[in-house]
Amino acid sequence: MLGLIILLQMLLAVLYFGKIGAITVGVSMTILAFMYVWVSRHSLKDKYIELTRNEIPWLYDSIVKMANKAGIRIPHVYILDDYIPNAYSFGSSIVLSVGLFEVLDREEILGVAAHELGHIKNKDTLFFPMVVYGRYLMILLAVMIILFSHNLFLKVLSIAFYILYEMERIEFFKDREFKADETAVRLLDRPLSLKDALEELKYYEDLRTHVKDSALPGIEPSIERKPKKSFMDTHPTYDERILRIILESEGINIRNILK
Amino acid sequence: MEPHEFKLTEEGIRAVLPPLEAEIMEYMWKVRTATAGEVYEKLKDKHPDMRRSTVSILMNRLCERGLLERRVEKGRGGMRYVYNITTTREEFEQKVVESILDALMNNFKEATFAYLSKIKK
Repeated sequence: MLGLIILLQMLLAVLYFGKIGAITVGVSMTILAFMYVWVSRHSLKDKYIELTRNEIPWLYDSIVKMANKAGIRIPHVYILDDYIPNAYSFGSSIVLSVGLFEVLDREEILGVAAHELGHIKNKDTLFFPMVVYGRYLMILLAVMIILFSHNLFLKVLSIAFYILYEMERIEFFKDREFKADETAVRLLDRPLSLKDALEELKYYEDLRTHVKDSALPGIEPSIERKPKKSFMDTHPTYDERILRIILESEGINIRNILK
Repeated sequence: MEPHEFKLTEEGIRAVLPPLEAEIMEYMWKVRTATAGEVYEKLKDKHPDMRRSTVSILMNRLCERGLLERRVEKGRGGMRYVYNITTTREEFEQKVVESILDALMNNFKEATFAYLSKIKK
């Protein structure tokens, strides 16, 4: 669907501006493709430490086991020197921050690693950058049409395509997060460890972002938990993910009993 | 660390640090080096509801305040931050007193002089 919307936007530009529109589309796509390649090759910075088996055998072995179960190549695992618990994946690599090791136990860290393996297995590490660069192209073409076209209908149509792309993009990202969770639940020996990890990370985030400075030492009573939900959020909430993980995990249990 | 607040009703370093951060610093000044996990183990008896996340956030806040510094340490159990004190308790207390007296001298010079002379006698 996202690809179709981009195609329609490109078609508008080419049909209205003719040769100039085609050249703009071609040049933009080439620049974005170069950016994609450059960023994917330069995404590792000094703060990353590549993990070898000798350093953390329990983590390395478990990731290898889960990667084999998922039927994917053994990923490179990098440790990021950042005290904030965080994890992400790119290409066939996963990154875990040192902060994760400070607030989560082993099972929970494996839960987080399984979620990132889920993204690799579902090819999100390939699709996500394409969707992001597709967004840049949509913005560029919409701006070009709004500024240089004299046709009001065309301008409205271009804006409508852009809004549609944004809505689809948000839904796409959310859906892929749920899918990565589903995959993780199937890869883990203890499926609910991902739920436990998300609960702890939710607590961490609440405490860190919504706490009044002077109230922090009180821990619980003064925590301000304002609903943060925004229609532009590309990630589902922790609660939505936790609920789905519980349901998925229960489903696996039932299927195992029925076998 | 430059204290920006002094709570007249609190005792000791609690006058310039929030209570849990003050507790962590009390412990850190004793042991000098510790991981967040070790601090958590130490504090959880007194604060059973406390979680690892809380200790991690507070220790990193103490790093931002310049009272602690952290470094990554590799171990077979995993990666972890090891926290060190950057200043002794005595140095910290001296800094607090200097900051407060500087502020008093800047804002209430004569009254501060008069009071210091009075208590000196």
